[in-house]
Amino acid sequence: MRDLVRTRYVEANPGLAEGADPVTTEIIRQGLNAAADQMKQSLIRTAFSPIIYEALDFAVAFYDADMCMLAQAPTLPAFMGTLGFCVREAVDGVGGPGALGPGDVILYNDPYGTGSHPQDAAMIVPIFHDDVLVGYSAIKAHWLDIGGKDPYCTDTIDVHQEGTIFPGVKLYDAGRLVSDIYRMILANSRMPEMVIGDINAMVAGARTGAEALAALVHRHGLGTFRRSVARMYAHGEALVRGWFERLPDGVYRASSVIDSDGVNDGPIPFGVEVAVSGSSVTVDLTNCPDQVGGPVNCPLPSTVAAVRIAIAFLAGAGEQPNEGHFRPLELVTRPGSLFHPVRPAPCFMYGIPSDHAIELIIRALAEAVPDSVPAASGGDINALVWWGNREATGEPWADGAPHPVGQGASPSGDGASALMYISESATRFTPAEVWESRNPWRIERLALAEDSGGPGRHRGGLGLDLSFRVLEDQYLTAGLARTALEPWGLAGGLPGRPNRLTVEYPDGRTEDFSLKTRIFLPKGSVVHLRTGSGGGYGPPAERDPLAVLADLREGYITRDHAGRHYPHAF
Amino acid sequence: MTTTVIGVDVGGTFTDLVLHDAATGEIRAAKQPTTPRAPELGVLAAVDAAVPAESLARCAHFVHGTTVGLNALLESTGPRESGPRNREPGVEKPGVEKRGVEKRGAVVGLVTTAGFRDVLEIRRGDRDDPYDLFWTPPPPLVPRRLRVEVDERVAADGGVVRELDPAGVRQAARLFEAEGVDAVAVVLINSYVDPGHELRVAELLRNAGFTGPISLSHEISGEYREYERTSTTVVDAIVRHRMGPYLHNLDRELRARGFTGRLLVTRSGGGALTLDEAVARPFETILSGPVAGAAATARLSATLGIGTAIAADVGGTSFDTALVEDGRLPLLFQGEVVGLPLQSPWVDVRSVGAGGGSIAYVDPGGLLRVGPRSAGADPGPACYLRGGAEPTVTDAALHLGLIPAGHISGGISLSAGAAARALAPLAGPLALSGTTGPPGPTGIEGVDAVAEGVIRIASAHMAQAVRGVTVERGVDPRGAAIVAFGGAGPMFGCLLADELDVDTVIVPPNAGNFSAVGLVQADIVRSAARTLVRALDGEALPVIERLADALFARLTAVERLTAVEPMAADDVVREVDLDLRHRGQEHTLTIPLRPGEDDVESITARFSDAYHRTFGHRLPDPLEVVTVRATTRVVLDADRPPVPAPAAVDTARNVTRLWSFRRRAWTEAPVVRRSAVDGPLEGPALVLEPTATTYLDAGFTAEAHPSGCLVIRRKDGR
Repeated sequence: MRDLVRTRYVEANPGLAEGADPVTTEIIRQGLNAAADQMKQSLIRTAFSPIIYEALDFAVAFYDADMCMLAQAPTLPAFMGTLGFCVREAVDGVGGPGALGPGDVILYNDPYGTGSHPQDAAMIVPIFHDDVLVGYSAIKAHWLDIGGKDPYCTDTIDVHQEGTIFPGVKLYDAGRLVSDIYRMILANSRMPEMVIGDINAMVAGARTGAEALAALVHRHGLGTFRRSVARMYAHGEALVRGWFERLPDGVYRASSVIDSDGVNDGPIPFGVEVAVSGSSVTVDLTNCPDQVGGPVNCPLPSTVAAVRIAIAFLAGAGEQPNEGHFRPLELVTRPGSLFHPVRPAPCFMYGIPSDHAIELIIRALAEAVPDSVPAASGGDINALVWWGNREATGEPWADGAPHPVGQGASPSGDGASALMYISESATRFTPAEVWESRNPWRIERLALAEDSGGPGRHRGGLGLDLSFRVLEDQYLTAGLARTALEPWGLAGGLPGRPNRLTVEYPDGRTEDFSLKTRIFLPKGSVVHLRTGSGGGYGPPAERDPLAVLADLREGYITRDHAGRHYPHAF
Repeated sequence: MTTTVIGVDVGGTFTDLVLHDAATGEIRAAKQPTTPRAPELGVLAAVDAAVPAESLARCAHFVHGTTVGLNALLESTGPRESGPRNREPGVEKPGVEKRGVEKRGAVVGLVTTAGFRDVLEIRRGDRDDPYDLFWTPPPPLVPRRLRVEVDERVAADGGVVRELDPAGVRQAARLFEAEGVDAVAVVLINSYVDPGHELRVAELLRNAGFTGPISLSHEISGEYREYERTSTTVVDAIVRHRMGPYLHNLDRELRARGFTGRLLVTRSGGGALTLDEAVARPFETILSGPVAGAAATARLSATLGIGTAIAADVGGTSFDTALVEDGRLPLLFQGEVVGLPLQSPWVDVRSVGAGGGSIAYVDPGGLLRVGPRSAGADPGPACYLRGGAEPTVTDAALHLGLIPAGHISGGISLSAGAAARALAPLAGPLALSGTTGPPGPTGIEGVDAVAEGVIRIASAHMAQAVRGVTVERGVDPRGAAIVAFGGAGPMFGCLLADELDVDTVIVPPNAGNFSAVGLVQADIVRSAARTLVRALDGEALPVIERLADALFARLTAVERLTAVEPMAADDVVREVDLDLRHRGQEHTLTIPLRPGEDDVESITARFSDAYHRTFGHRLPDPLEVVTVRATTRVVLDADRPPVPAPAAVDTARNVTRLWSFRRRAWTEAPVVRRSAVDGPLEGPALVLEPTATTYLDAGFTAEAHPSGCLVIRRKDGR
């Protein structure tokens, strides 16, 4: 058995924070967050793919010269802090910091460094102040296609089937486009025009960010900037430690089951262990199978992100995170396993184990902080990817989106209905009218699912019922997780409903899918997506009768459901 | 007969009035505390205090900026909720605070296409705060039982897939009757393409005996995106309930005082609506609060020939900023208020919670933070001696001598002692948690250091907001002029210039009431829009022009319905704009169209230039039309008001001790009446006028401009 790997963050420059004044530090902290936001806005406004500008499937961040995270704009929490690995690998790939100069842009999309699939490509721009390398701006965004066996894959058996890999190459060298690389990208994409548009947007965004950061350093001077950044990390660390100190020391555990790996049938059990000691936390994800044959392996950067998301949601005080927030955390993984796969394990659907781990870590802490932990949500982003050729023109088209789920009930109240899973909490799904103006579909139903919320003193949030009638022949790839596991309740609350995708064919036949690539949908088929709901909190018998009656009056529950779970209200 | 124009703007803290008398050229300004429970009382108090009866009798236009629509909406949304988390004390979302007594909001019923009852509640699936595990959307504006589905369906190309079932509408009418519904919103899928079914629903509701107001989504917005259009239509139905009675009441009170002119209400998208139109389309007024200041900046920069101006309005609770290029207001076509999207033109004014009343505190990690929580008008900053104990930006400014101790407008007395007492408790935690080394470069410590930090952080907040509005439009703020106004704007002008590396600051006359000056310059503006997604090719132009004509016909019909006097003498300008994008992209740029003159090539060239200006590159891809917009502008007053110097104020002292941020030291500085500034005045100095104080730091020079503006120049960058 291989040695376990401990991933942790230590202070790069001890003592530097001393002498930094708290006012300038606050001004620089705000300036970094605002600059990250400018980079984000620039990307949103210029991107070509709806998956970037509508679903916000990207991350933008600044790193300092030591590759510590200065700031990340609020986008996909799933990408929280993952860019650190990728900046390091990308810079190493081109020969280290010494090989960088003004005007360079590095392209990197190796799944083992980005943590995700090759479609998530990163652009990294080194930032200079008077010829000194002071940091990096980085953008990772989802390209519609960069090769791979299908535009979206749920059945790959190694990483090489998943897309073309750029292991850290210069796309721009001293400001000049490297056309060899550029042509390779285009030659390897099914949708080169979209990808060109997105590449331009990413480069423009990363450069906008680099200029904003350089201006900030210039305004304050490099010495003050570095001291204040050190102080800022200490501040972030203090906030998170302050929260963990309130937890009783101990080891907290939870376990769960992933539906399948997409290639081989059979559930995949795993467990998490969270050890709290003083203000430090160690998360152990070694209790899982060896890396699996299908694409649900979670590369280390995304395992790290899962831990950070869980912790930030609980302890981050609503602040935009920086490296300091992560210092109290240590992660233990086992190379060659589900949460630390090694090349060439397939990992296209890395989000499935990563998303599952987030909720499980939060659940494990329910014992330590019962007041701060909700029951399970629908637990997945329910990704659907569609494509085909238009009947009239033969033109190719493609679209894809995540879909919202019900949220778990908590000690403080009912779960919210129909929100994106927390790892993609900033994303939005597309309005039906926009879909219908663009794709050969008619949306027949977009509704909250009555009776779906897990019963409890507080009720789980409702899932979504969505029906698409397809008006032309087309293909669908389903990326659903947690179709077998019911969202758990807490403290006596009952479970909600799992996710479910049913295709109703024109001949009346129906079939359910969870992870399935390239489902053929003949014209006239109807796709029913029923997203998961939230689990309940506390025994249903303790629900306020007035709340039961209100739910009944508004039609969130039916009379039948009310009579079965809340007889005390009548 | 010579006439007057009166503008009254109701802000969160103060109600501002400006009177322009064309006979004398006089501009008169007044301020009264806002009366949140009954805003008309504050408006009328300002009129009674500042407008002589004969001036009111000669008033041609009474232009009103109101928050009544917004408040009506807040009554229906209630406070935002969130679950347990370890938020820092004092950290709240910036936003509009609920004001006034509890009133019953309108009960609204919603009619939707079968299958889409929950659109309003499902929203788009996102969270306001992506890092808040417990974030819960506000309760939907229409409860689920009052959202009724009717069987019907129109396709995206306008074809009827399923006819409307009249029985379902009649059933809805019966439910609304039984539930005491005041107003109904009708939002059917794809009605922006063909409104036939919505019109039929309205007819059936009337036939079934429903007598309350009905808002039809295609009339309210005409744009696609069903959640956004539903939200807009429901908001319209809700604020209509309150806006009509309020405006009619105000109109009556004014007429009882001898007013015979037109009452106009400002729009979120700039300009003003007539009384009747504001009653009919109240959602258009809801985001109008901060617009008047941007409009005044636009007018001023057009007059002075300033290419790029940044409006910097610092009030009691917020900093509002907008970018004005070549005298044009920056328009957007979708806004958001208390988390609810509105498909309505609005001026892109960004608000951050950094104003005079913003509260400073030390967070648990040991950093000094300012805002977004505000002490507001009540209790106000500690130095107001009205019970406020927490330190605010105003307290820091007073401590540093940026505003003179004594009296300010509105009869509020400022206490330097109270300011220092409020700031003092922050000194300890800050020194303990961060500055463990030697004190700062100039050795400042204690209350002085806290006060300086509060002002620096507030300025940095404001500068970030300015960078947001400029950089996002591809503009470098360094080439711009800052127009500083609002009660505390002129105090921050020099600080912002240094933060942003800007060399010119303009303090307009009546700086404290400048927003209200924007009101007296308003035109009557109407607009309508329709989504039309198609390629921009030769065949598109006639379609666009026909659509624009139809939109103008609708606006003209509204004009006839709501004009209180013939408009023949008024100068009417018609404008058509197109939302265009590269095929494949989502985000659009809005480009003016010259009907009859333009061809595909000229439109494409104009779009390409705008795209390059905004995004820094050009693309060869073909263009798509998304939305056609028609606007009529009735120019009310060709002669723009002159801007005389404001009345003199007495200054008790003519030398004061103040903090120079550039020198990082206390210094002696002259206190000068604004009317006394003629030749170049070197900073450091304080310039006083009745409604504002200008802080001139070392290294800046102020001069009076013939327009009445104070023009401040930075002698050297830092």
